[in-house]
Amino acid sequence: MEGRPLDDIALVERAKKGDVNAYEALVQHYQELAFRVAYQVTGNAADAEDAAQEAFVNAYYALGRFRSGAPFKPWLCRIVVNEARNRRTSAQRRTVLAERALVAQSSGDSAQSPEDAAEAREFRSMLVATLQRLKEDDRLILAYRLFFDLSEAEMAEALNCPRGTVKSRLSRALARLRAALPSDIRMPSLAGEHDG
Amino acid sequence: MADPRRITDVELEGALRDLGPHYPYPPTPNLASRVRLRIAAQPVARPHRFELWRDPRRLALVAAALLVLLGAAALANPVTRDAIAHFFHVSGVIVTRQPSPLPSFSPVTPLDLGRRTTMADAQSKMSFTIAVPAELGDPDAVYVVSDIPGGEVSLAYTPRPGIPLVKQTGLGLLVTEFRGDLNPSFLMKGLGEGTTAEEVSVHGDPGWWISGQPHMLYVEVRGQGQSVPLRMAANTLIWEHAGVTYRIESGLSKADAFRIASSLP
Repeated sequence: MEGRPLDDIALVERAKKGDVNAYEALVQHYQELAFRVAYQVTGNAADAEDAAQEAFVNAYYALGRFRSGAPFKPWLCRIVVNEARNRRTSAQRRTVLAERALVAQSSGDSAQSPEDAAEAREFRSMLVATLQRLKEDDRLILAYRLFFDLSEAEMAEALNCPRGTVKSRLSRALARLRAALPSDIRMPSLAGEHDG
Repeated sequence: MADPRRITDVELEGALRDLGPHYPYPPTPNLASRVRLRIAAQPVARPHRFELWRDPRRLALVAAALLVLLGAAALANPVTRDAIAHFFHVSGVIVTRQPSPLPSFSPVTPLDLGRRTTMADAQSKMSFTIAVPAELGDPDAVYVVSDIPGGEVSLAYTPRPGIPLVKQTGLGLLVTEFRGDLNPSFLMKGLGEGTTAEEVSVHGDPGWWISGQPHMLYVEVRGQGQSVPLRMAANTLIWEHAGVTYRIESGLSKADAFRIASSLP
């Protein structure tokens, strides 16, 4: 994990010279991130897959314009989001996603009692459904920070905004999420620490 | 438990962090092999490609190789032919043994397979029925070249269990089909040391099994000023049936390549 950016720099430099193996290694490493970022925008697996694939291909052809030594991850995120936005066509898809999210089952709750696990699942489903109702920009900034672990600098690059505004945007997004939560929300005993 | 209005930013951030690993994403598709297929098969790294043809030294080597081939093809005298090169025809193909080491060039060059399209569109562009190996099923990508007589189609398969990656092509297996009878001397194959060519019979039709070291594959100049795609090719089974020339490039053994060939309708 720690050495990843250095790996990326080396792989990007090799890919720039036409090394297909190096680029494939980058795709292998980032395909999950790219697909999930795209899915946050499209809410549709087929479109997300299409967008992520297209983003990787387009990024490859754009490597010549990519500044050497710059972080690959946020640059890729930006391309993915652009591709995904091109494919997101209707609100109908968001509805489908929200419905799916509500019935989604999660794994990793085995350390909890069945009651706690059920409560945690219900809470997560509600969070997912609420996130879906947020504006895309809010959802993305929350996902970048809290799901995909981008640093502030990386978020600024991915969102194409000044670094100084990232914190306030994140804070506003969080506030809007809280305001959108159902009034009867209950914080469950979260299972995060018990996972694994 | 807690009142909703009392949830703090820290709690909400914690809840979102907890949600991350549980978010109901669909399974991540394997994009790496498909992306590789696309960037390897389409004219990638365009600057490099043109550099090849602008590089006088490389160009001279390619020109020399072509001259050897064309010379060999022109000299039908068996004695001279054997002295210069061992060459033979399947319709639309000339294979020649190079008397000197092969020109050196990047082992991975753009395949230049033509335009990517659907199977239905490809079929509509061909003057013959496209044969798909039953053993492999539908290809991962279909490419057509429409500007050669009768058309040319390439069926690309990504690596999979039993079909290893071929570094020269970036693919697992490539099936190419064209009207050999309409395209004399269309494909040229230059074999260097370490490459063996064996006369074979596929479905009772004449063919060749070319294996060992990668060999050169290049296409005759089509039209004025058109560059000559040249790349390294993997193990190749090539044969002709009813006017159509088939080529299977892969890292497979002869027996396995024959099995794939036999599954062509």
